[in-house]
Amino acid sequence: MRWVDFKASVKDFWFEFRRQKGGLLGLALLFLLVFTALAAPYITEPDIPDKWPTYWEGNPTNVPPIWYNYFTNKKLAAHEVLTYNDLRITPEQDLGGGIKYYAIEFDYINQYDLPPKDLIIKNIGVKLTDINSPAQITITLVRPDGQTVELLTTELREGSTFQVAKTGAVVNNVFNWAAEFEDPKALAGRTETIKSTMDVMRVIFAKAQPGILINPEPLHGKYTFLIEIFTFNEGDKIDLTPIVITLTGRTYGIMGTDYMGRDLWAGLVWGTRVSLTVGVSVAVLTVLIGISFGVTSAYLGGWRDEFMQRVNEFVASIPVLPILILLGAAFKGHVTLWTIVFLMVIFYWTGIAKVARSMALQIKEQTYVEAARALGAGTGRIIFKHILPQIMPYAFAAMALNVPGAVLTEASLSFLGLGDPTAVTWGQILYDAQTQSATINGYWWWVIPPGLAIALVALTFVLIGVALDRVLNPRLKRL
Amino acid sequence: MGYGRYLAIRLLNAALVLALVTLLVSVLFTKVAEEDLRSSIQEQINFKLRANPELQKQLSADPEKFQEWYQREYNRLIRVYELDKPFWYRVVKRTKDTLTLNFGNTKMPIFGETNVKKILATAIPRTVLLFTTAEIFVILIGLLLGVKAAQVAGSTLDRGVSVLAMLTSSIPMWWFGMIAILVFSFELGWFPSGGMTSTPPKEGFAYYTDILYHMVLPVGTIVFVLFGGWAWTTRNIMIGTMQEDFIMVARAKGVPERKVIYGHALRAAAPPIITMTIFGLLASIGGAIITEAVFSWPGMGRLYWTALQQNEVRLLMGVTFVTVALYLISMILADLAYGYLDPRVKVGASQQT
Repeated sequence: MRWVDFKASVKDFWFEFRRQKGGLLGLALLFLLVFTALAAPYITEPDIPDKWPTYWEGNPTNVPPIWYNYFTNKKLAAHEVLTYNDLRITPEQDLGGGIKYYAIEFDYINQYDLPPKDLIIKNIGVKLTDINSPAQITITLVRPDGQTVELLTTELREGSTFQVAKTGAVVNNVFNWAAEFEDPKALAGRTETIKSTMDVMRVIFAKAQPGILINPEPLHGKYTFLIEIFTFNEGDKIDLTPIVITLTGRTYGIMGTDYMGRDLWAGLVWGTRVSLTVGVSVAVLTVLIGISFGVTSAYLGGWRDEFMQRVNEFVASIPVLPILILLGAAFKGHVTLWTIVFLMVIFYWTGIAKVARSMALQIKEQTYVEAARALGAGTGRIIFKHILPQIMPYAFAAMALNVPGAVLTEASLSFLGLGDPTAVTWGQILYDAQTQSATINGYWWWVIPPGLAIALVALTFVLIGVALDRVLNPRLKRL
Repeated sequence: MGYGRYLAIRLLNAALVLALVTLLVSVLFTKVAEEDLRSSIQEQINFKLRANPELQKQLSADPEKFQEWYQREYNRLIRVYELDKPFWYRVVKRTKDTLTLNFGNTKMPIFGETNVKKILATAIPRTVLLFTTAEIFVILIGLLLGVKAAQVAGSTLDRGVSVLAMLTSSIPMWWFGMIAILVFSFELGWFPSGGMTSTPPKEGFAYYTDILYHMVLPVGTIVFVLFGGWAWTTRNIMIGTMQEDFIMVARAKGVPERKVIYGHALRAAAPPIITMTIFGLLASIGGAIITEAVFSWPGMGRLYWTALQQNEVRLLMGVTFVTVALYLISMILADLAYGYLDPRVKVGASQQT
């Protein structure tokens, strides 16, 4: 085929394809998916696959996305992380006698009905000269109603992390502070029960009125947290630049988090890569193998054809999923994406081989092939010059129509826990959801998006495949 | 090709597949059994040593002697359990156990049983119950909708069927099951989220209605994901048939349209529809099995899930083998039906009679 002819046929093809609305939609979706897959490191972070199998420190677990607030009447606090630049830092002050003072201050505007789950302070760079005289840290809260609550005064050592809501001393301090407002009758004899069940964060962000402990009502407005640090030795050093203050949210990001605090949005974006890679490589390989097998079989004819057809039938009648599950379990833990691709290719080429054979059989009998043979054309020339170009259009449609099956099978395997353990896949996210009973607990943000993504990839290729089929097999057009 | 020869080839094919799967399962089985036996040998030697304090005293004095005794004991047991025989020899021996489903016991009891064969015997009828019920609905709805769509080809209904088929064929069935639980069980609380009966199971007639109640969600899921595809297949075959000359003749004769469709067209289209249905059912078994696991329906799917979760290799082998065997049996049935219904296959046989 000359270049001009090729260009003309592409133009013709595009002219026809343009009129397939579904096909155009599929093409648009495909571009979107490919873009997402390529841009995954930029949309999220580049180290997601390495980070994925680990627990995501500092993130809340099992919380819905931020936009969930638009649909509920109880607004849930978003996840916030504050670093050095977000804080008002009072630089080192020498109080004399070797005592030095540092202060960190930040405001938190509480507009939520349910405040953050916790306040975590970590990465304060402490260097002590004498480990027996540690530094001291005091965390105080100034509330919008003017009340001041001293949450915690404790030792500060190297590598100290403070999880405010989970610290016993804070619970005591907050309880003592709030008990003044609470109706004494409600407290009578129940002090310990209330103390052990109360949500510290809800109490400190609640209106100071009776009921603050039993049924806290949110107090909106500007809260100021003041963190003061004292060091008692001359050589002690405090470096505040690496400090990280986390207000653990009750909502997180675009897609929420799962039981390991992982950002599901990141998993969703990176999963596109795996899904597309597996789907496309399985489709391309099966079509190549299928067409070579079918055409060879048709061309050879006779007992060889018969034999190859029996082989085809044999492979076609193997129930794929049970075998894949068995093999997956046998290689458990050592499965890579390419193993899965390879296994699927072994089983999936048969249908295409059958169609390619019957097409090749028809073409073989055409008069122009006979003419070519009479002119002395060899086997290779006839196959590559006359038979294959006729089958190619069909091959493209078959490729597109084969992707959904591969994508769904890969997802199914991952869902059974048999996927590549090092890859981030949608099937695995759903596997985790299933093992953690996400459906029964109503974690919809964990269950719905990955499945929709799988369906979207499958649908994209179904749309493209059907459109290609309509364009390339005119017989179907009237249907 | 005569019917007999066609059938012979298909049977041979099924036998070959079964042989391959048997071999695969047996290889895995041999590997698992070897690991089990080796640890059991260690235990036996230790036990023997502990049960005999005199021997223990004798051996602990001389480590070299202990080594020798240990080695001798070990080799003896290896020979007793035939672990010294070549791998392939053991695989062939295991094949018999595979074919008779003697996979031994699971580590933990499942459905109150540890014997793999008994567990399978409990699970299979439950899966058959769920799957058959769902398929009856799929076929009925699919057929009616498909015929209707073919009747009004090009209409909104027809387009709707095509779009629905495209959409549902892209959905993982098990995921749709999860969504169904989320919506109908968690959010609305209409149906139980899983299992086959309430705990504890109800008595008498209520037991059966309880099962039906638990079946609603899984059956609904399978039906929803599959019926669009069936309607579409039926529609395509029917449209092909409706363009045949004999339909035009029937219409020209003045046969009522209803009779043309159900009496003439559907009858002619029946063979391909039936065979497509059976083959399609076989293809959907995989997805349905995983869906079962999502709903904790105590059938084969649940066994797959448990086997993979708890690393019960023996159970996994059993379940796989049975699934493949059932699959092959249904495939042969489909072939029988196909050969019987499709005149092109029947030619040879009918000529003889």
